Amino acid sequence: MKKVLALLMAAVMVCSLAACGGDTPAPAASTEPAASTEPAASTEPAASTEPAVTADEPVTLTMWCIATEGDSNRHAYEQAIAEMAEKYPNVTLEWEAIENEAYKQKIAAAMASGEGLPDIFFTWSCAFLGDFVNQGRVYCLDDTLAKYKDELPESMLGNTTYDGKHYGVPTTMNIVALFANMDLLKQAGWDKVPENYDELIQCCDDLVANGIIPFGCAGGETWCVTEYLEPIIEKSIGADALNDIFLGRASYDNADVAKAVDTFQEMIDKGYFDPAGASLPNDDVKANFIAGRTAFYQNGTWNCADFASNPDFLPKVKVTEFPVIDSSKSKLGQLIGGPSDTLAVTASSPNAELAAEYAAELGKLICHYGYLDGCGLPAWIPYGDTSNINPLTQSVAEICANADAYVLFGDTAMSAVDKDPYLEAVAKVYGKELDGAGFIAELKGAIR
Amino acid sequence: MYKKSKNLTVFLFLLPALILFVGILVWPIIASVHHSMYVYPTFSDRGDYVGFKNYVDLFGKQYDFGKAVINALILAALSVFIQLPLALGLALMLGKGIKGERVYLSVYFMPVLISAVVIGMLWEKIYNPIYGLVVKAFEFFQWSGLPPEGLLANKKTALLAVFIPTIWQYVGYHMLLMYAGIKSVSPELREAAMLDGATDGQVNRYVIIPIIKPIIKVSIIFAITGSLKSYDLIKVFAKDAYNCSYKVPSLMLVRYAFHNQGGIASAIAVMMIVLCFGFAILINWMFKERDPYGKK
Repeated sequence: MKKVLALLMAAVMVCSLAACGGDTPAPAASTEPAASTEPAASTEPAASTEPAVTADEPVTLTMWCIATEGDSNRHAYEQAIAEMAEKYPNVTLEWEAIENEAYKQKIAAAMASGEGLPDIFFTWSCAFLGDFVNQGRVYCLDDTLAKYKDELPESMLGNTTYDGKHYGVPTTMNIVALFANMDLLKQAGWDKVPENYDELIQCCDDLVANGIIPFGCAGGETWCVTEYLEPIIEKSIGADALNDIFLGRASYDNADVAKAVDTFQEMIDKGYFDPAGASLPNDDVKANFIAGRTAFYQNGTWNCADFASNPDFLPKVKVTEFPVIDSSKSKLGQLIGGPSDTLAVTASSPNAELAAEYAAELGKLICHYGYLDGCGLPAWIPYGDTSNINPLTQSVAEICANADAYVLFGDTAMSAVDKDPYLEAVAKVYGKELDGAGFIAELKGAIR
Repeated sequence: MYKKSKNLTVFLFLLPALILFVGILVWPIIASVHHSMYVYPTFSDRGDYVGFKNYVDLFGKQYDFGKAVINALILAALSVFIQLPLALGLALMLGKGIKGERVYLSVYFMPVLISAVVIGMLWEKIYNPIYGLVVKAFEFFQWSGLPPEGLLANKKTALLAVFIPTIWQYVGYHMLLMYAGIKSVSPELREAAMLDGATDGQVNRYVIIPIIKPIIKVSIIFAITGSLKSYDLIKVFAKDAYNCSYKVPSLMLVRYAFHNQGGIASAIAVMMIVLCFGFAILINWMFKERDPYGKK
């Protein structure tokens, strides 16, 4: 009996990790930290009492997105939806905002079953939306977007185009940029941001010689390591080659990728990276950059709003793109990032045509207000007065105006299954467990 | 006839509990075993049947589950050989009835009451390589040898650095279990042994510990199964859990369950159940063999 009791106790203790039954294969659903599964839903009907512009009969559309109260895009969504209520008085939008990680699971489960889907949904581009398109769940937006071709450049639609058909309305976009603390650069004898790779290396050497750490990178969050590694690979092998690898059209078995990874590790070996960053979260590394511990910080341009909101720090910081390493294969203007935040329409929507038009107009407005708020760059051609946008975001807009090609963030471009070994290999590169040859060997085996 | 109807009554009274037991415990375990035989590329799509391939793959280079199991076993060993003796020592000390017993009891038990996430964040600050307590202590005493990347990022020190707070947190829990056992030991036994000239150590060794042996056994089972399924505190340190040198089975389980590899995650869950059951049986067997009266 005692044995049975002991076994039961052991079983009870592991049952939370064992399974949740039914059709779900996620045995650990109950162990996920509460914060990440918190359904921060808020349903806000945005009906308007403004006089009707069209005589159409009343329609209710539903939308799922991730613009929760704490999301930087929340304000843009609220303003855009309020304006849409005036434009489309016959349409009542019922929208629900769900926390990022929980949303990924919710939308994937709904798409898989095809039940309970909203009319309009937020999605990330490339593989994320691609999975749903392959399942036949997404409404084709070719006819709708044809009306907006003067406002929405075709170059912004590449990440949501599958088999030549458009399936998404991009809203804001972000790229990876190199932020520099000019006060620290000045201490090392640099009054300008390095303009090419040789200058960058020289600048880093000068910084190290002056006891200043050049880069801060959060090893605890692997996506932050990709913010360094991906631009280095892109500026070594070219945007097209990297895009082909990320999208599965080419193999990782590429000697130039290995060389680029070795370049990254040489920078680590030379002491260009803050060793303390290896165990720190991104917030700490960013705080270190603002506090003047590191001279550079390479990360997404969504940081512009934060840096700009710090009046002491803003005058010190400049933003640029990572310089070209191999000019025979890459050039300035080849960037990591691009339009990823997207609105799409479900094929099962009873009002799909109207929903498509509504999503396009709403996407344009979210882009507009998001840009004004400084939390992203416009995927649509900006309009109205944009002179109050913070100078960092304006600098990034200039970089994007001269863009040659965009390669989407690797972990967004890849499917969930491919993303996992990729991030693990990136983490091993930063931890010096894999060199360039090891990196391509591991990924060519794990991914393709 | 009467016996038959009595049996039926017993069965009917047991039925609600039985349904709950099977529904929330037995069935999920069976379902996990079933899920582990498939790929499960998405939550609702079970994908191809692969038999035991997920189990074989688990120990391959890609998943390296063996390392996670070894880490969990190291944690279990540290729990049994460091955490429990510490808890037993404290319980014996407090159980003897010292001045301020209640205060000490509360102080030692306090970490158990604090959320593991809070403890994780607290120790993360202690280990912070820039301003942490550890680095400042090294600076103050002018010691050298602290890795510049911090204890959590250094491959040699990470495992220990993570396990120290894990073990520290539950010392109070086991202490309280043992303390309750010690307090239930009749004072006459202690006094009789003392009158016979036994020292404190001898009283503990020959009177108290044998009496609280069933509690020690429960503590060992809790410590080992708890170590094998440890998650929350380690998750705080591991952040996104890619390539951390202290990965443990449940960390891997959650990662793969939510990265479209439900089959692998289920296989990990089944392995954890097997390990926990295995250890529970082993501990029972070990304690039974040493029972001087051979009672079951």
